[in-house]
Amino acid sequence: MRCAGLLLVMLAACGAQDPRQPTVEVISLEILAPSCGQPQCHSTSTNQSGYAFDTLAAAKASLKQLVGTGTGGPRGDRSLIGVITATGGKRMPPDAPLDPEDIALIQTWVNDGAKGL
Amino acid sequence: MRTTLLFVAAILAASAPRIAAAYPQYQLDSDKTCTGCHLAPDGGGILNENGTNTAEATAWHPGNGQWMYGVSKPSWLDLGGDVRAAAGYVNPGVSSAAAYPMQAEVSASAHWNGFSLFAIGGLRRPQDQGSAIHALWSREHYLMWQSNPDGPEGVYIRVGRLEPTFGLRLAEHVVYTQRYGGYPLYGEVYAIAASIVKEAFEVHATGFIHDPIASAEEHGDGGALYAEARVGDHAAVGAEGKYSASDDAHRTYGGFTGKLYLPGPKLQLLAEGQVIRENFVAAGGDNVTQLAGYALASHPFGGGFLLDVGAGHFTEDTRVKGLFRDCLDAQMHWFQTSHIEWLLSARVELLDLGSHTNGGYLLAQIHYRL
Repeated sequence: MRCAGLLLVMLAACGAQDPRQPTVEVISLEILAPSCGQPQCHSTSTNQSGYAFDTLAAAKASLKQLVGTGTGGPRGDRSLIGVITATGGKRMPPDAPLDPEDIALIQTWVNDGAKGL
Repeated sequence: MRTTLLFVAAILAASAPRIAAAYPQYQLDSDKTCTGCHLAPDGGGILNENGTNTAEATAWHPGNGQWMYGVSKPSWLDLGGDVRAAAGYVNPGVSSAAAYPMQAEVSASAHWNGFSLFAIGGLRRPQDQGSAIHALWSREHYLMWQSNPDGPEGVYIRVGRLEPTFGLRLAEHVVYTQRYGGYPLYGEVYAIAASIVKEAFEVHATGFIHDPIASAEEHGDGGALYAEARVGDHAAVGAEGKYSASDDAHRTYGGFTGKLYLPGPKLQLLAEGQVIRENFVAAGGDNVTQLAGYALASHPFGGGFLLDVGAGHFTEDTRVKGLFRDCLDAQMHWFQTSHIEWLLSARVELLDLGSHTNGGYLLAQIHYRL
């Protein structure tokens, strides 16, 4: 019985508040690499549209174009946030959209100045 | 134009099949081993004589299933090839339609006694603004020795570029256990692989390094192990493990497979589950646990048709509440001849049980085997 109670406590604790840090490393490796860095899309081998996200180095280079630093970078629906939050045919990824928790973490990182690029 | 390119690139992500792969949907209702139909110990690629006969037996209008309909070739040489194209919608109702090529490859195996030299060569998508030569590549090329070249059972040793044997190895790479798990598309590496294949069981062990020249999906070095035991005439259970260490992350995969064929309704059930532990060394050592699972039910009917119904689950990070997705798949294969396969595939993807924006696709594919 005590074991069952402990298990319930563990299950309840599982999947709590997002513990991930909004850093370029977490954004790149834990979110963009598996979602956008697929081999026939934005991996270093295919490099579609000039973007790759399957390694940290490649993701940083791509994010510099999509987010920019300082006052540079794209705006609106061509920016990273614009693409991943689009509701129409321009949304990326189109078949498997990012989870809201992932988008929120990316948004926080961008709002904090996209540090680490 | 840029939007069009982005869309065409993205639609490929949803649609390209696991290239030149086998169909484990047929494993337990015919031959128990991959080598019953294929030259490679883990399936895929060139068919052997029995595999050619099976292709004829499962087709609507079989025709001559031999390579190029029976063109003569030396007895020491086996040849194959695959061409695929697709058209359809990603995120139906929102995106526009697209059509595109997917695969154009030829393969050859030259064998002498127990040794064989195998290679696949062909085209891949060119890089945007990249050189034309980039479009040419060889996904697999290896030297193989097998203890029993005249039968489906035996020991196989392979050295060269190949994909480590792992999991169900379904033809559709978008299956969650492959897309997010240990058997990704273009996951070929340079490896030494040993396989023992018997009717009662098979074991595959692979040690590998990532391709240092042509970039591939696998960036790490490590090893993989897959073992499967047949239980009775119509069931099998498998265990799998893989470890890969790259500059960015150390990944450990562990999982199981299960296969059951029900002769009465002619139903093949396949299932795979994986626990993926990722240590992101480039992200301060962040540890993430992921869960990936997939189940498929397949039913052949009508002398040339195969219906697949599947469901998948992927938890991206067990620490974050609601960070998971599920999918429902349906696929109808029509093996028009022993060389031509038509495939209609549909997916509905649900984020957090459909409480958020969802995705999916509806695609028609044609596959021509040389």
